Amino acid sequence: MNELQHGFNRRRFALRVARAFLITAGYAVFWLIVWFLTSMFLARFPNFNRLFSVLAGGLLFFTFAMTLTEGTIYKHILAMVRAFFLIVYLTYATNGGTLTINLENLTFTVEFVPLLALMVVINLLEVARGLLQAIDFAAKSPKDEVTQNLEIQGAV
Amino acid sequence: MRLTIRAIGFTVTLLWIITLTLPVSVALSLLKLAEGKNLGIQEPMFTFTNGNLSLTMPLYINNTGFYDISEANVQVKICKANIVLAEVSETLPDIPAGQMVEANCSFTASLEEIFQKDRTLLTEDADLNVNASLHFRVAHLMAFNIASVSATQWGAPFHNLTVYGETYNETSHVLSFYVSFNNHASFFVDGPLAVSIINLDNEIVGASSLNLNVQPGEAFLELVEVAVNPQKMTSSVFIRLSFANLEILGRLVQP
Repeated sequence: MNELQHGFNRRRFALRVARAFLITAGYAVFWLIVWFLTSMFLARFPNFNRLFSVLAGGLLFFTFAMTLTEGTIYKHILAMVRAFFLIVYLTYATNGGTLTINLENLTFTVEFVPLLALMVVINLLEVARGLLQAIDFAAKSPKDEVTQNLEIQGAV
Repeated sequence: MRLTIRAIGFTVTLLWIITLTLPVSVALSLLKLAEGKNLGIQEPMFTFTNGNLSLTMPLYINNTGFYDISEANVQVKICKANIVLAEVSETLPDIPAGQMVEANCSFTASLEEIFQKDRTLLTEDADLNVNASLHFRVAHLMAFNIASVSATQWGAPFHNLTVYGETYNETSHVLSFYVSFNNHASFFVDGPLAVSIINLDNEIVGASSLNLNVQPGEAFLELVEVAVNPQKMTSSVFIRLSFANLEILGRLVQP
């Protein structure tokens, strides 16, 4: 019985990894398309490729980890970490909301501090949401889960 | 709690849509503004009055974009090597979306102040750096700054200023000499050129004035005759030429 359960868990885990891998691969294709589209206009920004790969790599990692930990409290913790990562990344990559491009004798500067502040607020809201979801998840008893599953299946 | 989580999720989605749509719509708005004849600058006009150099540039902006344009400001900084000779800025009126605004962009710089920083500009041509920048804010959220650095040639208004052929008439006590220069500047040299004769005791022994009206690119040559005080006259004297309260030449002569 124990061996059967172990085999079942291993199979479930392998399926979970495969699912996470497939979803991450899908997102990777999406980021590749975004890179192709944006590099045409934004390649002149200093360190564009490096910054883009950090963003894409970071978000792909979170996609994989969050898909893998779906149904556990870790998913919500990872969502909070992702929001913090985005706050730090956006502030660093945009140089505090001021981007400058040098084109021969011309210097072009875009300042969007209010927009960056809005992005930080959004991510703080994401943190709050993750925290509430984690509390909600932790507060659930196994009995609630069974009832919820039955509700979903339409048995109750 | 679930309702709260859902509400936060909805707010986050909405805010992301706004945040990502805004830069795109601002870019489209600017592209609309740049196309056609929505932005025009008429021929700039240089004037030189009372020692002040003025540049007037009439312009019009037809804001066909979606957002208001505010905090529009043009700044021009003129430098020679590392010395800032002049710094002028002009704030343009706010341009609401869908409206056309005509404005006069005028810069005034005191030549006296410029020449005090570098007196050689009066008599020597020079290479100057012009740093021009345009700043404006779209939708009160995103600010744009376009700055350019360009080199320009400064033409000296009193290029090759020379005093020569000094003669002193001991009977009439008149010191005469020629003054010549070329106006390499792009503006009229218009105004009085003060001539002072100073003895070795640093006393003014004679003074005169020449009314200048020299066109750009034109050469100037005139005989100057100054009546001097014979009692204070010394064997050598200084001829000092001043324009707009600025000494442009001081030369010791032995007439």
